[in-house]
Amino acid sequence: MPLNWLVFFKLGKQLKIRDIVIKAANLSYFIGKKPILQDIDFSIQKNDFVLIFGQNGAGKSSLLKVLAGIVSAQKGFVSIAGRNIHDYSRKELATMLAYLPQSDEFVLPIMVKDVLLSGRYPYGALFQKFSHRDHALFQEAVEYFSLADLVYRNILTLSGGERQKVILATAFIQDVPIILFDEPMNFLDPGSIFQMIKMLQGLQRLGKTIVLVSHLIEYFFPYATKLLALKNGKKYYFGEKKFCPELFKAIYQVDYKRVFTENREIIFVNE
Amino acid sequence: MSMNKKIWMLGVVVLILLIFSPFWGTIRLNWQTIFANDSNSFIFWHLRVPRVLLGFVAGSILALSGLICQNLFKNNLATPDILGISSGAAAGAVISIKFKMHFSFFGMGSIYIFSYLGALLAVLFVFFIARMIKNSSLYTLLMSGVAISLFFSSIIVFFQYIFDFSDTFSLVRWLMGGISVAGYKEVIILSVLLLLFLLAIFLFRREFLLISAGDDFAQSKGLNISNFRILSFLGLAIVVGAVVSTCGPIGFVALIVPHLSRLLGSSQYSKTVLFSIFLGGGLLVLADLVARILIAPVDIPVGIVTSLLGAPFFLFLLFAQLKKTN
Repeated sequence: MPLNWLVFFKLGKQLKIRDIVIKAANLSYFIGKKPILQDIDFSIQKNDFVLIFGQNGAGKSSLLKVLAGIVSAQKGFVSIAGRNIHDYSRKELATMLAYLPQSDEFVLPIMVKDVLLSGRYPYGALFQKFSHRDHALFQEAVEYFSLADLVYRNILTLSGGERQKVILATAFIQDVPIILFDEPMNFLDPGSIFQMIKMLQGLQRLGKTIVLVSHLIEYFFPYATKLLALKNGKKYYFGEKKFCPELFKAIYQVDYKRVFTENREIIFVNE
Repeated sequence: MSMNKKIWMLGVVVLILLIFSPFWGTIRLNWQTIFANDSNSFIFWHLRVPRVLLGFVAGSILALSGLICQNLFKNNLATPDILGISSGAAAGAVISIKFKMHFSFFGMGSIYIFSYLGALLAVLFVFFIARMIKNSSLYTLLMSGVAISLFFSSIIVFFQYIFDFSDTFSLVRWLMGGISVAGYKEVIILSVLLLLFLLAIFLFRREFLLISAGDDFAQSKGLNISNFRILSFLGLAIVVGAVVSTCGPIGFVALIVPHLSRLLGSSQYSKTVLFSIFLGGGLLVLADLVARILIAPVDIPVGIVTSLLGAPFFLFLLFAQLKKTN
């Protein structure tokens, strides 16, 4: 083993460099000829809580879809746990990461129980019945997210908050290390928002890596460990969470202030 | 009333309908005559019974194909007739009749084969258009379905117009949809297809559920949606082609029944499938009974009856959906 590798290895142990679970390198993504994302790179480590923000049309949702392998970037690559995303089969990828799209995709009535159990799809062989582990995880999720009253209802009849809870629960049942969540709080009331935040935090404590796209930076800032700001499809900032009024001003054109209460860092718009 | 009880009740009602409807028609039959060796028993066993059985099987297949189609497109209004698959099959059958092609392939007549080909062609068109317009939304697919359906309808009219009029009447009669000319052979073929179709619906239940929850959601749960879609559409073309080549294009069953079944089955997949079988079969048998006795001795094509019932229901659905989105 060459010397520099050895040094690097030792240093890594000393500094406790956590495993890189998502690495994006020189990502560029176009729809037609229109560039949506340009030259984006970053690495996300295990157990990070990454908040992606940016103006409407900055490419947040597209970035999340590229990371989830739903669409593929024309330039650059994404690697998940050290392996190129294109080397995974769909099912393999679904055992690594859960992508939770905006919930208004549901248009046909489906029973909540079936939606939840769909999280076990990547683990079953073709035509296979659900295993004991599938049902056990289902039960666990029902308790963890307190879904007992919703299980036999039609997903279309749930309120927005309930629906988001069910969608997040599918990621829990999917039993993956990485969760990518697109705008989970759209149109939710504050109570539901905090319920969701608590659940996301709980998932992070279980050791999962969470990548979240949201405009509601006031809500998520206290919980995030890293920030990724996008502007016109380009990376504007990526790094450890820090309160930087210039950054928020550059993205949203409003002034943010910060206060500390009960050991928490709270930011708000001060206009 | 519990769900299982509802299914049992419906099953019993449909069974009663199946038992009694062969007795009604232009000639009323009764218990004694059907066991005698005369023309009445011939009418019963060789005309009415296969007709009723075919109605049930064809109705079930149509309803299930509508259900699967709606799942694949995630839209209540997406059915084989609206996407142009039925009219593709009909155009294939018309071409085969007009060119007087009579051959058979593994026991399937030329009309069957041309219907499959027509249905497949329509499916390919839907696919090709969806591929061309990347990021294809539901609406582009539905609109292309409408265009394809109009295209095939004009092919049918074209061939009717330019060729001799010798068999135009029987063709028009066929295009109205009917199950009156059936024999046991058709009943057996379609029954086998129905069983295979049900088996596929059961084996791929997790996939059909996932795909109805949305493309991104399904993909992120590990489903290869493009492969699965291609496979499903090929299967749909086979069953729809078979029904259309046998009974003509019978409209609206594929649209109404899945919708009602979803309501009755409280969105449970297996229950919805069961309701679709009973309701689809029962509805077509009932419509055919109405067609036979409404202005007897005239035997109205059953397609006219289903369309008369279906068109207002379709409008009702459309308005209900508009109301929901506004």
